[in-house]
Amino acid sequence: MRAQYINPFLKASMNLFKEYLGLKVTSGKPHLLDDPQNLEEVSGIIGLAGETKGAVVLSFSRETAIRMVSRLEGKEYTVLGNEVLDGVGELINIIAGNAKQDLLEFRIDISLPGVITGSSYKIRWPDGIPVVRIPFTTELGKFSVNVSLKDIA
Amino acid sequence: MASTSIKRMNILIVDDSGVMRRIHKNILIEYGVEESDIIEAEDGKFALDYSMAKPIGLFLVDWNMPRMNGLDFVRKLRAMEAYRTTPIIMITSEAARYNVVEAIQAGVTNYIVKPIKGKALFEKIGKYLQA
Repeated sequence: MRAQYINPFLKASMNLFKEYLGLKVTSGKPHLLDDPQNLEEVSGIIGLAGETKGAVVLSFSRETAIRMVSRLEGKEYTVLGNEVLDGVGELINIIAGNAKQDLLEFRIDISLPGVITGSSYKIRWPDGIPVVRIPFTTELGKFSVNVSLKDIA
Repeated sequence: MASTSIKRMNILIVDDSGVMRRIHKNILIEYGVEESDIIEAEDGKFALDYSMAKPIGLFLVDWNMPRMNGLDFVRKLRAMEAYRTTPIIMITSEAARYNVVEAIQAGVTNYIVKPIKGKALFEKIGKYLQA
């Protein structure tokens, strides 16, 4: 799992949350997830295929997702409804689309991202590859970028 | 922020995300566009129907949408006599250079990568709205 595949997603995430949403973002220490399904209630999933295969998953608590989308749209949301999930989808789309530019030198296809919510969903991570979590803290709440990639090339 | 020199025309915002449509709509209104001049469509097929039903003076189009994506919509639009030169602004998260080239070849007038703030967006599209 090479850093050069992961860094474009971290860079795009930081750009979106810091520059666009105007948040103070602090990154925590990357660590391996003991339970790869230990994610928050709202997750945006970006699939990768090609010379590396797997997923980048941004995971937010319900409260953080609501506050992030409220900030994005400039409108106060209070519940995790379709509009908030739509907004989270757009945040993930932006991160995936922006990261693509920095992955052009590699033979990697990025899927159109999807958003999943609930308390019992499971992500299909690549077999035998640990999930690395990079935690972030903002004034709107915490989120994490979770990555597991199986390098093929 | 509102300007009195904004041209009256129908502006069609095409994006499958309701949140993004509202963000772009609010920016236009903030800069002086009349709310009643703004039409929203959630994909290329709806947008094509609207474009045939009434004259559109400016298009803001996303790339990735279900049923008909932005690129296919632009190609169909450019094939119509009425829209051969109408400004079409693609606003998308697709940031790769080859995406920009593909969009320009399809007939897009200007290409904007999301995320973009209101002021920056209006700086790019303001010239198409001046009376």
